[in-house]
Amino acid sequence: MSYVRSLIASIRVGWARDFGWTNPILGFSLKTIAPIASTMTALTILYIGFRNGVSITPEKFPYQLGFIIIGATLYAHISAYSWVPTLAIAEGKWTFVFPQVYVSTRSSPPYLAGRCLASFASSTVTSIASLAVAVVISLLLFGVTIPLVVTPLSVVLFGFALVVNIFASMGLGFLLGAYAVFASKFEWALPTYVSGILMVFSEALFPVTSLPHPFSDIGNVLPFTEFIRASRAVLLDGSVGSYFYYLGLSFVGGIILLVLGLLAFKYSERRARRLGVLDRKVV
Amino acid sequence: MNPRASIWLKTVYARTWVRTKSIYGEPLWVAVNVGFPFFTSLALSLLYSSAGLKSGIGFAFLGGVMVSFWGNVLWSMASQFNWDKQQGLFELYITSPAPISAILIGMSLGGILGTAPSAVTLAIIGWVFFAPPANPLWPLVAVTFALTLASLYAMGMALSSLYLVYGREADSVNEALHEPVSFLSGVYFPASLAFPAALQAIALVIPLAVGMDALQRTLFSLNANGVADLSLVYRDILLLAIMGTTLLFAASKALKILEEKGRRAGTIAVRLR
Amino acid sequence: MSLRDAKSTVEVENLRREFKGKDGNVLALDGVDLRVREGEVFGVLGPNGAGKTSMIRILSTLLMPSSGSARVMGWDVATQPEKVRPLISTASGAERAGYDYITARGNLWFFSQLYGLPSKLAHERINEFSEMLGLTDYLDKKFYTLSTGYRQRVTVVRAFINDPKVVFLDEPTIGLDVMTAMKIREFLTMQAKESGRTILLATHNMAEVDAICNRVGIIDKGKILACDTPMALKRSLGAPALVMEMTPPPDPASLEPLGKVDGVKGFTSSIDEERGVARIQVVVDSDESAQGAIDFARKSGMNLISNWRQQSTLEEVFVALVGRGFREREHESAS
Repeated sequence: MSYVRSLIASIRVGWARDFGWTNPILGFSLKTIAPIASTMTALTILYIGFRNGVSITPEKFPYQLGFIIIGATLYAHISAYSWVPTLAIAEGKWTFVFPQVYVSTRSSPPYLAGRCLASFASSTVTSIASLAVAVVISLLLFGVTIPLVVTPLSVVLFGFALVVNIFASMGLGFLLGAYAVFASKFEWALPTYVSGILMVFSEALFPVTSLPHPFSDIGNVLPFTEFIRASRAVLLDGSVGSYFYYLGLSFVGGIILLVLGLLAFKYSERRARRLGVLDRKVV
Repeated sequence: MNPRASIWLKTVYARTWVRTKSIYGEPLWVAVNVGFPFFTSLALSLLYSSAGLKSGIGFAFLGGVMVSFWGNVLWSMASQFNWDKQQGLFELYITSPAPISAILIGMSLGGILGTAPSAVTLAIIGWVFFAPPANPLWPLVAVTFALTLASLYAMGMALSSLYLVYGREADSVNEALHEPVSFLSGVYFPASLAFPAALQAIALVIPLAVGMDALQRTLFSLNANGVADLSLVYRDILLLAIMGTTLLFAASKALKILEEKGRRAGTIAVRLR
Repeated sequence: MSLRDAKSTVEVENLRREFKGKDGNVLALDGVDLRVREGEVFGVLGPNGAGKTSMIRILSTLLMPSSGSARVMGWDVATQPEKVRPLISTASGAERAGYDYITARGNLWFFSQLYGLPSKLAHERINEFSEMLGLTDYLDKKFYTLSTGYRQRVTVVRAFINDPKVVFLDEPTIGLDVMTAMKIREFLTMQAKESGRTILLATHNMAEVDAICNRVGIIDKGKILACDTPMALKRSLGAPALVMEMTPPPDPASLEPLGKVDGVKGFTSSIDEERGVARIQVVVDSDESAQGAIDFARKSGMNLISNWRQQSTLEEVFVALVGRGFREREHESAS
């Protein structure tokens, strides 16, 4: 029970931290604006390619826009909450919260998981909002209607995919957190590199098959790639069969990543305790 | 030398030194700062390729270089005074005879010199490994680059006064400004080829937008015949000069007014403990 | 020249400062009058929330007064801050202000440049003051690697590097170990004596005031209640304080009438949990009043195990002025 209690308390703290704005509408707007803008950058590049290049036909263009909108917003969603553990540890060392959490009954995993889940909730809301707004802006700017499949079934399946992806993102979060436990500076460096790698290899903006071998294989084994493919399958292609295929791969990959992440984090904490750096302030 | 001028110059030098020493004293900073812009530029250049426009690779890497400076302006210029306030450094600046303008100029110069290694690294990687097709007019490139940086950092100085007032939300404002301004400025793409005229006109109030337009034209011409439209480049140069000067003046005035307000309200030394 | 004949470097007249709060205005300073002389170490002693920091901030040009006047070296702090700033410096115990990736020496040099010091002179002063404060071996270490005590030593060196005429220090030894605090106090005393600097020291550490201050102003609720040398203030209480020890510790309510005994100006109490003993310190104006307090304790059925007379402390002076100790006063302010 105390695991659950610790988890719930951490979710509440994480939510208050992410969304404890005196003006919630302002806070929500500020958090949504960045994913919208980065999505629009990618869409505009595609538009320029469409207008000036040779490989996109007018029939394919709306689909391609949809491909990028879904990929870019989900990439932003994954990035937003997978590095919350790093943030919580770095901030927690600065404020001495993290050492206090570490020495508590259930220690840090429920705390970091709770912070992650809170950020998942806030990021889901902002991602869906930014997806919707990006669709509207595309219509206004490019005069193109994105052929999204929005039915009760597709929405439910999409929501389910978001939930399944928690395993992979949390696993990644714990892996990154394993580094942050040691780091006394540049603790945010590894997450930014990982975010950058995900941008290239998670099929957020273009099919990984367009990358040369063996780089395309890297993309194919990432659970995030399968999650984005599953989301496209249901929201763009309307293909439930493909959806479950990709989701299954994402689930399996996510479980493996979560287990690896937890093991790495536990090992890292033990080592950090031996070295005496658990409460060393980050610079 | 006039004592006031001497303090001004010494302060500029000292603040520049602190900033560059912090970066160059930890070489890992370069690797850290290069990472995300590199992957972003790489992803977007691959997007250009998959969209059938290999010539766009240059825009992607130019964008990565300029985003390094834009990020530095937001996170290390605009927010700096707010963080200095948290540390108790800002009140030391106020109680010293050093003018705030000198501290700001020093921060800017330090920021430019500190960001240069990662920006140059990214430019070299892009140029050497991806060989973007380019048609540079180097003298104009140099002028537009210098003016763009000057205007950008002048904007950072002006923003720093705003952040002094709205300090607690600075991080969120930075996050909110970073991507939208990058998008509106056409950092990774030529806005003149994508945006309707009205949106382009609106974007021209942003120094980064004007600078990007000038740099893209002088590096990649943007015209089908491969020859840059110099009238537009000169327009951009003039706009940048006006913006830079105006923003510098506005920053100086705003900080004076805010210092006075802060002294009356008692908020100069207020910080989180 | 004695301190008495020295000119005033800090002059404060009827200084008031009000802050706008959510629950109404807060009066931080309520008509403060003060004169500090050249070469003097002047302590401003009071509990948290008394107005010490507000006064320091006004004098160091960080804050405007609501009314009244304050002059440093003859210049008005409100209207002529640019004349004041080259002549002063300020340091706070709450600050650990410095750039983390720069060495201590680099940080000190940087701040010297804000005052236009030639680099050679700056380094000479850095070396000289660091030697005095035992900081020399740490000068070339990055700021973030220094412990709290050494960062504070850097802060103190920084406050003197520009050769200020007046130095404002706000709790400079708070949270420091005994040795570091002692070193800093020795340094401050030397700077005032040998260089003729005026040092205004805001603190609630009475031992510090006793040790180094030429004069002390006791402040509470924005008002200066008394201003004199520490010795004169303690003597102003008249008789030495009475200390009574009782076991078991009496109920606090039963002690209340002690304050009404003839000649008793106030009292503070503390409990030694390990020994199960209460210690009551009573500020009295005469030996007769002291006896009266002892008689009260006995008549009230309290088990008095010992009593003695001791030299008054500045806290007892404060108690005599306000009727409460520092701890109780801070408790009141908090609630």
